[in-house]
Amino acid sequence: MQEQTSYTPVRTQRPRRISVFDGQDLKKALLAGAASLEEHRETINDLNVFPVPDGDTGSNMSATMQAAMRDIVDSEDTAAGTIAARAARAALFGARGNSGLILSQILRGLAQGLDKKQTFSAPDLALALQEAQRFAYRAVLKPVEGTILTVVRETAEAAQVSAQRGDDLVALVQEVVMAARQAVAHTPDLLPALKEAGVVDAGGQGLSMILEGVWHYVRREMGTDGTGASPASMLHTMSPAPETSARKGRVTIDEEFGYEVVFLLRGEKLDVAKIRQAIIDMGGVSTVVAGDEKLLKVHTHTEQPGKVLDYGVSLGSLLDINIENLQEQSLTYAAASEAEHAAEQAQPATQQIATVAVVAGAGFEKVFRSIGVTAIVPGGQTMNPSVEELLTAVDAVGPHQVILLPNNSNVVLSARQVASLTSKTAYIVPTETMPQGIAALLGFNFEADFESNCKVMTEAAASIQTAEITTAVRTAQVSGVRVREGDYIGLVNGDLVIAGQDIEHVIQETLQRMHIERYEIVTLYFGEDVARQQAEETAKRIKGKYSHLEIEVVDGGQPHYAYILSAE
Amino acid sequence: MAVRIVTDSTADISQDQAGAAGITIVPLTVFFGNEAYLDGVDLDNAGFYQKLSTSKALPRTSQPSPAAFQEAYTRLIDEGADAILSIHLSAKLSGTYQSACTARDTLPDTVKKIPIEIIDSQSISVGMSWAILLAAREAREGLGLVEIKAHVLDQLPRTRILAMLDTLEYLKRGGRIGGARAMLGSMLSVKPIISVRDGEVVPVEQPRTRSKAYARIAQLVQEMGKVEHISLAESDDEVGQQLAQVIKTVYTGELPIYRLGAVLVTHAGPGTAAVAVVSAK
Repeated sequence: MQEQTSYTPVRTQRPRRISVFDGQDLKKALLAGAASLEEHRETINDLNVFPVPDGDTGSNMSATMQAAMRDIVDSEDTAAGTIAARAARAALFGARGNSGLILSQILRGLAQGLDKKQTFSAPDLALALQEAQRFAYRAVLKPVEGTILTVVRETAEAAQVSAQRGDDLVALVQEVVMAARQAVAHTPDLLPALKEAGVVDAGGQGLSMILEGVWHYVRREMGTDGTGASPASMLHTMSPAPETSARKGRVTIDEEFGYEVVFLLRGEKLDVAKIRQAIIDMGGVSTVVAGDEKLLKVHTHTEQPGKVLDYGVSLGSLLDINIENLQEQSLTYAAASEAEHAAEQAQPATQQIATVAVVAGAGFEKVFRSIGVTAIVPGGQTMNPSVEELLTAVDAVGPHQVILLPNNSNVVLSARQVASLTSKTAYIVPTETMPQGIAALLGFNFEADFESNCKVMTEAAASIQTAEITTAVRTAQVSGVRVREGDYIGLVNGDLVIAGQDIEHVIQETLQRMHIERYEIVTLYFGEDVARQQAEETAKRIKGKYSHLEIEVVDGGQPHYAYILSAE
Repeated sequence: MAVRIVTDSTADISQDQAGAAGITIVPLTVFFGNEAYLDGVDLDNAGFYQKLSTSKALPRTSQPSPAAFQEAYTRLIDEGADAILSIHLSAKLSGTYQSACTARDTLPDTVKKIPIEIIDSQSISVGMSWAILLAAREAREGLGLVEIKAHVLDQLPRTRILAMLDTLEYLKRGGRIGGARAMLGSMLSVKPIISVRDGEVVPVEQPRTRSKAYARIAQLVQEMGKVEHISLAESDDEVGQQLAQVIKTVYTGELPIYRLGAVLVTHAGPGTAAVAVVSAK
């Protein structure tokens, strides 16, 4: 095991019993858990089995947890159910990557279990953990053991056993932590890929680290740990939120202040990032700006709605302005959905179905736009968009029927959540690569209805092969292939097939493994670090070996991946 | 005597076939520079390709003049027709329909002794030729104008064209691209599938390869349910045979193959193959 975490000793002394926690206890426990997770973020990232530069588990889980914590850190609410519900909701919107999404579902289950409870006891918590387990498994289409799922299940079982023995939260948390440690340690026995790589499961370890933090808090609360830190200082110990969240300006606010301002902005060459920053600079909090350069949706909380609206008018025309006094209302989505409905009517009815794609790389963005995508959510590899970013994009497009192309295996689960969160009809074509997304989009039938398009686009996505050439970010052994950090590696439909020092050799081997001779047309997307001429030469060499192929060379501009190649 | 059927050269019914069926074809004109050729009369398909590859100027096309229609109508009246049914390509794609209407409306009363009905098929090529041949057969069988016209108007909306192009370039250049404009600008080479709806070219799908395009057309045909008839049109044998082969895997009926005329190829481009599928009632 690579993981060198220093555990808080569990068996040193037996503190006195605690029979109930309230909302503030829960808040502090979760904050401690989040701080622990953040502290171990990098070691969890290093547990990544795959040497590809993909969204890292530690970063994704921590970003998700911090999104949840920012929403509750200043709350004075003493109802446990309310705190849990707020954390769960914020986690869902902030969820990044599959691990973050599963974590958000664990919190959601917890909230479900604690629903309407002012305080909770050990049996309550045991039941809530059962719910957490149930929600976690339900989030995944094909649950795999030896992952975070196993860890949450075994902790839930331990909690139940503990609750049956006695009504003591200290004992329960202690036994839960023990169970989590054991479950994590056993993950390599359940998942051969982990064993081969010599690591434990990263997601499971992330959950375990949260529980360690909770345990740390419980111990401290018993006075056995001396300090008794305030929640503010606990938040302070967290590193700054990941860049993507920070840019979005999701700072903590008390929901009971100011105004919520929502509007659609129509204009030309709108700069999403710049507009978001400008609104944050004006004092807008919980600011979300999403859409494309022609139409975007702004959501912010501010004490001066006029200022934000004036700024909007300076950029284009405003549609569906909705201002709510936050003191007068509890946040609902009805307003937003109504705004969308009106926006739809305002738009020409030429296009009844919108497509939204997650895309990395300037070139790929151009390709997606050139074949008619309605809106793009930047991200994919390395930076997995949050559920909220996906949701906002889906909500911002005009049509009420939306097809979402996640284009990355680590974004598919988050995308699926969007379908249940949006008031629109959204369908997820589970594309795992950008070429699959392009194939799906090209398969879009202009004449067909939503259902037929969902089907035909899914089929189109499955009909093409994707190969990727990138550089290994860590030394590893995967599916029998030995990979050294810095090696070129070739992947076929996500499976690593070859590693080596010579990129040409890696490319040729990869093509051979994907049986390139069986296909007609190859599209070679070169990355941001590859010159067009280099790519053209690579194409020429491929053509030299497989003369029947039609090869198209396209500037993908993707980060990290020298080449992404599709064959059909 | 009888109802006589008139159409234009974009129906892609050959001179021989028209002669046998008793159909009068009024040709459109293809221009190479200042040289004008009557579609299907002065210029057959082979001749057109020859011209296309040698001529520096890109071809343009032009609707028949009202005079050409008046000449055709007058001749049929003189031959003793009881009525004329004139069926033409979509008025949104060509001025042919308008020209035919003008011809009828300006015929001197002394000549225009019989009813002349003109139909905008809102389609083109094989999208209307089956209905025209049906009309001609019914005319030979002695059915009246009202009945034949009703049958044609019943058949046309049940007919759907699916065409695979090699490129959208020709449609764009000829200005007949319609809704398929949405597929322009693709940074990836595609073999667009288009259709004609409400008289205009509309986009259908954008497969990357020919074989996928054929397969998709066959699939779309299959999804249309019970089929009464399918006709096929091709710009050249190769694409036509390839599409026919795939269509035959999903349709066992008669599959007549038509050659796209010079006007059609000018606007759709070489490498075009299309099917017109008539859904069963």
